[in-house]
Amino acid sequence: MSQVTDAVHPVTRMAASNGSSEMLAALRAEWIKLRTVASTGWLLLAGAVVTITVSSAVVAVEKCSSASCAVDTTKVSLSGVQVGQAAVAILAVIVIGGEYGTGMIRTTLVAVPRRWVMLGAKAAAVSLVTAAAGIIAVLGSLLAGRIFLPGNGFTAAHGFQPLSVTDGPTLRAAIGSVLYLVLVALFSLGVAAAVRETAVAVAIAGGLMYVLPAVVSLVLDSAWQHRVLRVAPMSAGQAIQSTTNLGKLPIGPWPGIGVLAAWTAAALLIGWLLLRLRDA
Amino acid sequence: MIGEMTQVRGRGTTGRDGFVQVLRSEWTKFWTVRGWTAGLILAVALTAGVPLALANGAASNGNLPAVATGPGGVAVNDNFYFVHRSLAGNGVLTVRVTALTDGAFPDQGAGPIAAQPWAKAGIILKDGTQAGSSYAAVMATPGHGVRMQYDFTHDTAGLPGAVSSSSPRWLRLVRSGDTVTGYDSADGSHWATIGRATLAGLPSTVQAGLFVASPQALRNGSETFTQASARFNGVSLQGGWSSGAWSQCEVGASYLGAGVAGGCAQPSSAGLRPGSVTESGGTFAVTGTGDVSPYVPAVDVLGGVFKGTLAGLVALIALGAVFVSSEYRRGMIRMTFAGTPRRGRVVLAKTIVIGGVAFVAGLAGAAIALAITGPKLRAGGWTPPMYPLVSLGTGTGLRIVAGTAVVLALAAIFALAVAVILRRSVGVITVGIALFVGPLLVAAAVGQRAGAFLLRVTPAAAFAVQQGLQRYPQSSAACLASHGCYPLAPWNGVAVLAIWAAVALAASWYLVRRRDA
Repeated sequence: MSQVTDAVHPVTRMAASNGSSEMLAALRAEWIKLRTVASTGWLLLAGAVVTITVSSAVVAVEKCSSASCAVDTTKVSLSGVQVGQAAVAILAVIVIGGEYGTGMIRTTLVAVPRRWVMLGAKAAAVSLVTAAAGIIAVLGSLLAGRIFLPGNGFTAAHGFQPLSVTDGPTLRAAIGSVLYLVLVALFSLGVAAAVRETAVAVAIAGGLMYVLPAVVSLVLDSAWQHRVLRVAPMSAGQAIQSTTNLGKLPIGPWPGIGVLAAWTAAALLIGWLLLRLRDA
Repeated sequence: MIGEMTQVRGRGTTGRDGFVQVLRSEWTKFWTVRGWTAGLILAVALTAGVPLALANGAASNGNLPAVATGPGGVAVNDNFYFVHRSLAGNGVLTVRVTALTDGAFPDQGAGPIAAQPWAKAGIILKDGTQAGSSYAAVMATPGHGVRMQYDFTHDTAGLPGAVSSSSPRWLRLVRSGDTVTGYDSADGSHWATIGRATLAGLPSTVQAGLFVASPQALRNGSETFTQASARFNGVSLQGGWSSGAWSQCEVGASYLGAGVAGGCAQPSSAGLRPGSVTESGGTFAVTGTGDVSPYVPAVDVLGGVFKGTLAGLVALIALGAVFVSSEYRRGMIRMTFAGTPRRGRVVLAKTIVIGGVAFVAGLAGAAIALAITGPKLRAGGWTPPMYPLVSLGTGTGLRIVAGTAVVLALAAIFALAVAVILRRSVGVITVGIALFVGPLLVAAAVGQRAGAFLLRVTPAAAFAVQQGLQRYPQSSAACLASHGCYPLAPWNGVAVLAIWAAVALAASWYLVRRRDA
């Protein structure tokens, strides 16, 4: 099998001698695949548009009539990320799950036999496009907050400054939200590599993003809620968006995103191990 | 002979036998794929396991508010201002209500509060003045016209419309043994029967008279006391009534914070929210607060625990999606359609298979969940009368288990139909989560009206069948989505989901016959 591979694919032969150029070639291949699939552009566009639209809708209805309204304006302005993250997760799942669906994965693995290089190249390509779309979505959302919130009573008289990314906590929330989206994408990529079936991977990611909060919010007493929200990947990761009352959160902003990063690392690791162990 | 058999079989494939074959082949496809069987087992495990985990985290309830217990052991509100005298044996009480106005207490924040739809002013006949005792009453309300109510859970509508001096209401109660009949009239001469109550074990001597109550209302998200004022005149008594002046007291004052046991407190000692009565020239002006209705706790803990079955639902949606999309992906669908050119039958056969397995999985998962979480919640202090016993042997328990199974089956069928339409599984999961889980998240975050709308029209309406609390239309308790209350009756919610599934199936049927595979 490897002989055939060597004969047919110069990329692999080149790779055998030079690890970094193998990675570069794989990255270029993944980039071409991602760029030329129609769904990529649609999903990224939909993700950014939905994020900004939902954020705008939320800040448009959020009202403050006195100095006592305890609203985290930054977090409220970034509400759309909750919906936009679905597009990012789907994109990441399709990048690998779609290849399993069509059988393309066999071609990919013939060209790039090293599993970690293939997975790494996919991760890099997905991270890049997610970060790009994420920056637009996050800045658009914050801009909507900056435009709408002062008109709804979030004024200096009530103790609110207009949103600005030069403000330390808001900057952290903005950068953190982009990081959050990238980690959600990578987590979904790892899950998809492990389960190989797009439907199952999307169900797992969607379950953690939406089903878990829906299930947890109603009956659990607050101690248990905090316990669950501290360890669940998406819930913990969203702590990065908070800028006020940080002491009352189930988990702090950076430890929270750390929890998500740990889940992401675990998902990618398991995905890579299963890729290594299994036939494609 | 052989020729004949072949002919028979050939004809069979287009007749009823043909459909059985299609069904059998779809069933074979389902159970021979190892991953799908595993997915089905996972769905059962999630349906049973997640509610169990939630019950574990919710199993502590130390501070139930004190409420009275009504006839039949239900938790009740029984607080009202009572202007009464005793009636020995049979008798008739007639009165005219000319006004019923409503307002917040001055110390409960600025500005008047709108009239409470379920404020009550009328006449009541009661087994003593102890809160929770048996009663029958006829009353005017600002929002629901004239009602006859008895023993808290029974409610019958009389004349519609609100009360005013230009449009008064005559009310009458007739007691005969342990039967009490309620009448109303718009003019005092034409009377209509509203209803008849049989109050088992009613003693010979009862307390009866005028009463006014006004339930708590939500204001800025917190419960606020309200009070109502009513004017009565033309009071007429027939039968064995006691003589002398009317007595008055606050029934169930302890539950309004006065620190009195379940009995009837004098207004002066009732403390926090005193009612009042003044009489001049046969006109009684009565002010009161409280409510006479079934008590429904704010949070539906059993329904909340069963929300955990959402995890199993998502697993079954994925299964329904993959059952179709994998055939499209691998080109298998062309073979399937070559074998059964009547494609509608393939969709129907798949629907029956996925609906059947999802129903069985849901039934098993939900039954296990209820069998284990029921005792666990009771041990954690979620006990009657406020949280009725719910087990597989009770009507509510059977409704929750069977309802959950039906909801999971319909969700899987809906996913299957959407998968035929989209031919891609990713879209199906996205649509599924958006339509089943999305409304729950959004409804809890947006205002009450928008939330209730979402839970009426989306497939998430079906989760109404998992409610563990009995809701009464005459209860004024706020129905909040964030507390697990649904606007639709349990099976009506399931019907909404059934409509979604039927429409999706019809669309998939149409498309699968028109399109190339």
